[in-house]
Amino acid sequence: MVAKLGSGTRSKLYRTTWLALLALTVVMVLVDSSPIPRGAFLAVLLPAMLVKASLIGANFMHLRSERLPLTVMVIVGLLVTGTLLFVLIAPDAVRIRTMTPYR
Amino acid sequence: MAEAAPQVLERWSGGVCPFEAGWRKVMMWTFIITDGLLFAGFLGGYGYARIMSRQWPDQATVFDLRLIALMTFILISSSATMASAVGAAADAGRSVLRWLLLTALGGLLFLGMQAYEWTHLIEAGARLDGNPWGDPLFASYFFLMTGFHGTHVALGVVLLTTVAVRWAKKLTSHEGVELVGLYWHFVDLVWVFIFTLFYLV
Repeated sequence: MVAKLGSGTRSKLYRTTWLALLALTVVMVLVDSSPIPRGAFLAVLLPAMLVKASLIGANFMHLRSERLPLTVMVIVGLLVTGTLLFVLIAPDAVRIRTMTPYR
Repeated sequence: MAEAAPQVLERWSGGVCPFEAGWRKVMMWTFIITDGLLFAGFLGGYGYARIMSRQWPDQATVFDLRLIALMTFILISSSATMASAVGAAADAGRSVLRWLLLTALGGLLFLGMQAYEWTHLIEAGARLDGNPWGDPLFASYFFLMTGFHGTHVALGVVLLTTVAVRWAKKLTSHEGVELVGLYWHFVDLVWVFIFTLFYLV
């Protein structure tokens, strides 16, 4: 799948992806050190994290040019399962935090 | 029960690879998915402990974010050099070796900085069963997650060096470089999540 792109196109894609990843990292670090509300902080950081992961997966790992079944296998296997894992246990964590310790 | 679409049946009825990729690549992706779920479990457990905790330390008071940002920069750059190595291998270019060794160098730099960070934290009193900043699980999760990730980076450096030697001796093809590339990008991918969820959030 890598060979489908010309070498010039590939180099440009890798360079652009690298610069985008660096820019997102700088933005994340700046947001972390700025006094913005927690909600806004998470609203910037979490999507930025997912965009970075998508850029790496799509451009560096060439998932964008792989066949759909392979891409679906990776997305469902990793992203969906990982998200479900967290979403299912987070309510329990919140609930335990509010419980009174047993004496 | 509705009948599957003809093209689905044709793809999965046997005799062809449904993913239209070599079996080595499919196996590497399978490994990446299972290893990714390992880290997802760690991060899920960390998230659980973090939400539940009433005294989770402020990361800004524990870590030097400039060091962590530099480590992230190095790993992202090594991912870019790895992609360049894979691209050069597809063209059977001569710069493959240079890109592979640059990637391995990035990995070694990252490991060195990780070791420095660990030393600094251990000297400050962080242990697997406690730390001076708050919830004991803080240091446990730190050492567990960064330790596992660092181990993956170290193994990746070994793999990169091995593939570089094999490429120089013409014992491996473009596919070999691509497979180690997938592994290295996965290592970078995991760091994206650890960097965000453990060091920043």
